[in-house]
Amino acid sequence: MRLFDYAPGLGRLAAAAVIAVGAMATPAAAGGKFVFANSSAYDTLDPHAVFDVGRVASRINLYDGLMRWQDNPPKLQPWLAEKVEISDDGLTYTFTLRDATFHDGSPVEASDVVYSIDRILELKKGAYSLFEGTIAKGSTKAPDAKTVVFTLSKPSAIFLATVPEIHVLNAELVQANYNGDDLGTEWLSKNDAGSGSFMLKRYDPAIGWQAERFADHFYGWDMVEDPLDEIEFRTVVEINSRVLGLMNGDFHGTDGYLPQDQVKRLRDSENVYVDEQESMRIFYSIIHHGRFPMNDLNFRKALSYSFDYDGFINNILSGSVARDPVPLPNNMWGAPQDVEGYALDLDKAKEYLAKVEGDIPEITLGALAGYGQTEQAAALLQNGLNKIGVKTKIVAEPWPVASGKMRDEQQMYDLLFLWKSTYYADPNNWLGEMYACEQIGARNSSWYCNEEVDKLLSEARVSTDQDLRRANYEKANKLLMEDAAGIFVYNTKWFGPFNKDVKGVRFSPIGNGQEMRWVSMD
Amino acid sequence: MGQFFENTVFILRKLATDRTAAVGAFIIMALIVVAIAAPVLSTHPQDVTEFNPPERLQGPSMDHFFGTDRMGSDVYSRLLFGARITIAIAVIAIGVSVLIGVPVGLIAGYYRNWVSDALMRVSDIFLAVPQIVLAIAIAQTLGPSIENVILALSATYWPFWARLVYAETRSALNETYVEASIALGASPWRVMLLHVLPNISSSLIVRTTIGMGGTILTAAALGFLGLGPPAPSPEWGRTIAESREFLPEAWWYATAPGLAIFLVVMGFNLLGDGLRDILDPRTRRSSDG
Amino acid sequence: MRALVLLVNRMAWFVPTLLGLLVITFTISHIIPADPIAFIAGDNATAEQIAALKAKFGVDKPVYIQLWNYVLGVAQGDFGVSLYTQRPIVDDLTARLPATLELAFVAILLSAFIGIPLGVLAAVNRNSWLDHVLRVFTVSGLAIAAFWLAILFQLLFAMELGWTPLQGRVDGWGPDVITGFFLIDSAIAGDWDIFWDCVAHMILPAITLAFPAMATVMRFTRAGVLDAINSNYVDYQQAMGVPRRVVIWRYVLRNALIGTVTQLGLIFGNLIANAVVVEAVFDWPGLGLYAVNSILQSDYNAIMGFTLVMGTVFIIANLLVDIAHGLIDPREAR
Repeated sequence: MRLFDYAPGLGRLAAAAVIAVGAMATPAAAGGKFVFANSSAYDTLDPHAVFDVGRVASRINLYDGLMRWQDNPPKLQPWLAEKVEISDDGLTYTFTLRDATFHDGSPVEASDVVYSIDRILELKKGAYSLFEGTIAKGSTKAPDAKTVVFTLSKPSAIFLATVPEIHVLNAELVQANYNGDDLGTEWLSKNDAGSGSFMLKRYDPAIGWQAERFADHFYGWDMVEDPLDEIEFRTVVEINSRVLGLMNGDFHGTDGYLPQDQVKRLRDSENVYVDEQESMRIFYSIIHHGRFPMNDLNFRKALSYSFDYDGFINNILSGSVARDPVPLPNNMWGAPQDVEGYALDLDKAKEYLAKVEGDIPEITLGALAGYGQTEQAAALLQNGLNKIGVKTKIVAEPWPVASGKMRDEQQMYDLLFLWKSTYYADPNNWLGEMYACEQIGARNSSWYCNEEVDKLLSEARVSTDQDLRRANYEKANKLLMEDAAGIFVYNTKWFGPFNKDVKGVRFSPIGNGQEMRWVSMD
Repeated sequence: MGQFFENTVFILRKLATDRTAAVGAFIIMALIVVAIAAPVLSTHPQDVTEFNPPERLQGPSMDHFFGTDRMGSDVYSRLLFGARITIAIAVIAIGVSVLIGVPVGLIAGYYRNWVSDALMRVSDIFLAVPQIVLAIAIAQTLGPSIENVILALSATYWPFWARLVYAETRSALNETYVEASIALGASPWRVMLLHVLPNISSSLIVRTTIGMGGTILTAAALGFLGLGPPAPSPEWGRTIAESREFLPEAWWYATAPGLAIFLVVMGFNLLGDGLRDILDPRTRRSSDG
Repeated sequence: MRALVLLVNRMAWFVPTLLGLLVITFTISHIIPADPIAFIAGDNATAEQIAALKAKFGVDKPVYIQLWNYVLGVAQGDFGVSLYTQRPIVDDLTARLPATLELAFVAILLSAFIGIPLGVLAAVNRNSWLDHVLRVFTVSGLAIAAFWLAILFQLLFAMELGWTPLQGRVDGWGPDVITGFFLIDSAIAGDWDIFWDCVAHMILPAITLAFPAMATVMRFTRAGVLDAINSNYVDYQQAMGVPRRVVIWRYVLRNALIGTVTQLGLIFGNLIANAVVVEAVFDWPGLGLYAVNSILQSDYNAIMGFTLVMGTVFIIANLLVDIAHGLIDPREAR
């Protein structure tokens, strides 16, 4: 057995694990109420039903996991777990729990963790796919109230990185609220059964939710001066409403991916400051490799040389993002630092185009309706391709339509502009999902399968040797770029706007700065 | 045919004397001219397909009459090209729906049997929800494009014509001379084409004109909701939708296409009103009576 | 008696019409190429996960069986579950219907209280400058794109002047729901802060919606008043020495309004159609916004639920108008 030693930068968790914990209910002076304007609606509060960045706040504020991603670059911290031991074969993970209580006062026990992972596996929603094939239902055991043993069906280098998504539910409370065999989904969609830093107070799917500070939270409140008493996450779809509300003080924070013109307005406002951070959310175009002419490297190079990266990043986005020539965010380990990506060069594009054999049909450029940036990128590419004599048509469809097509080889667009966000901070989140052969038709919507790349990725997915993983990912990135597997454009910066009274925001690409327990207000 | 010519001259002469109708006719003529001559009248005709990111979101100036948009294209030039799309959608959608709706209405109105009942019931079903709701659903199903907007509008607008023609046909059948020609053994087709249709043509012309305005509004709404032709199409509704992200700074961005829609729809409404006064005395504006 | 015959006749067609509507919307929504199941399953769903969800929602069965099951459900008051929010459609619709009705009601009141007096004024001062100004106003009201007017109002009153909120129905949670009409609920609760906040939120969308309706009301009122003024009856009254002002407001208006009232069906229809886009612009949590979102998300059950409710409301509204019309003008009741 060896103690957890996962990756540099993640710290030696076992050693760092004993963080001061004690019963320290601190009914501090009124810390105020924080209102966050959220761009998407909280349709359900069930932490196992959804797994998206837009609705992360209900998961990380109302619930706890064994581990938690924090700060930027993201570090994996022990959370409900005090320590974790990993067996030498990399198959057995033994977590030891801290003393913690649920919102109803009952203790958090190992059986609750077992119930939670089994519920995820049975529900088959949200983060289920992260654990599918790695953990079998019923394989997780609780030898005693404080110990949880996960036994993987096959080695996985990313398992620990995905543990934060196992949000721990109060098993008894949920089971008492089953409606038939629904595993409590109906009840959990509007109630809370967690142990998180805040307790749900009010919820309306059309408005949002409110929660109050949980004084008995295991982590205590000593380290925060004047912690918040109440938080509210309200759904405000329209960008202008979020911005205006922030400027006149109705809201204290909103999402950090606003258009630059709006960020400029916010910066000029006396009530607001903008916290700028490197994030991990790449913007790229999927290229459908299963179809002519995209299966021809020369054509893909012509595509990559026809996009005006500079005009897009510096003019349309006012330089608010960083050029990223590979499919991995350039601030993630495993991203090669010494590559020069493609740039707009129509002469080279024509040169490569001339080498393509056969008549080139009209190319369909997909974009996401309602996401202006994807349409603008498609229009810009169309502009470039026009000039080298490639006919294109743009199809902007809503995300439900696009995501359906992404799973169907026949219906998938020739190209599709979109983002890939951080679900867990490991290169596999990008490369392994986007370009591994076994993911074809699921998360690999490029129908891309390159033996050399695939070997590097599968090796890295199971290996526990950090140096090997890093080397593999760096090499895979380079190969993917040379192969023009997609049109890789930029990595996002996060411009988190907050009211000037707000202090202590801890941004992490996984939680988007929405873990509110660290925040205080003047 | 001589009769037809005389009628046309009569209508045109009347139109010229009715001030509001003349204004309407003028606006529509201008729209047609603009649409045809868009490449000549526009200052930056290449901006429909080519972009100039460094110049994005600039206010109105001598170089860009109505400013530039999010891609750095000239709003004025794109507006002119957008007129083509607007005209194409309105003319074809109205044309198709009339071609379907009028025969359905004639047949259902002339015969009194189960076919006629069934036809009217089907059109009632379509009329039971606002046109735009079904149009949105159809446009979404077929995917965003000009052709599909036209299809969605035609598919949801024909029942309106069917209803109209049905009612007019029923009342025309009660006219003595129509009854007489039926009694004299005229064939159904002869009665419908020679007696009923001419009788209802004036009210059809009026409704078609006003219907053009309504169709342009609905088409723009579809474009606004993202169901019209995709980027970088200069369609007016989608241009307004695009601009929302850049308000209030880029106020010019939404103003020009909105005004264009307003003017064109107003043109058709004014002309329709004028034609109604001339052709359809039964529903004549009371101001003149 | 004729009205009764009409009523029975119309009622007999009520259910078949709704059924037909159901078949049409069902057909439209089920040939959508989108895969809502893949969407709700999430970014990282597996094939197995999707298959399980399909079985759960019954969309793995043949389409005609799905339709049959749906009709059976509706007959029992079960509109199914939203594929997207996973809540019963009935809950969603009942939560949103009051928002749309409140907005439509205020808009109709606005258009009547402004449109009728202006219509009378225009008729009484026929062919004066006032009549011409009002006529331009009428024509504009019917020519302006509701979504554009909405954006202009937002730009001017919310963004530049800051007089009204930009969008939404209330700031935050609103009053405790009793009737679902926030203005009434907050008044009952005596919570005047919320009441005025609701009023502030209501102003822009209500005026946007009322604008074309007002134009129609004005137009028909003007026509009705002119017809009445020209009738022998009015000549008689005036000959009897009743002052013109009294004749107009007491006798003429009553007759003139009949024409306006029978146009309510048309006005209501246009209002609801406009509400679909206006709610989208103002993020008004009503049925229109719900419909747009459901359509964009290919949420079959929600689309059909919305269409059914809208069809019912529409048919009832038209029925009422027909009955009113039949009572007033017996010739219409064939």
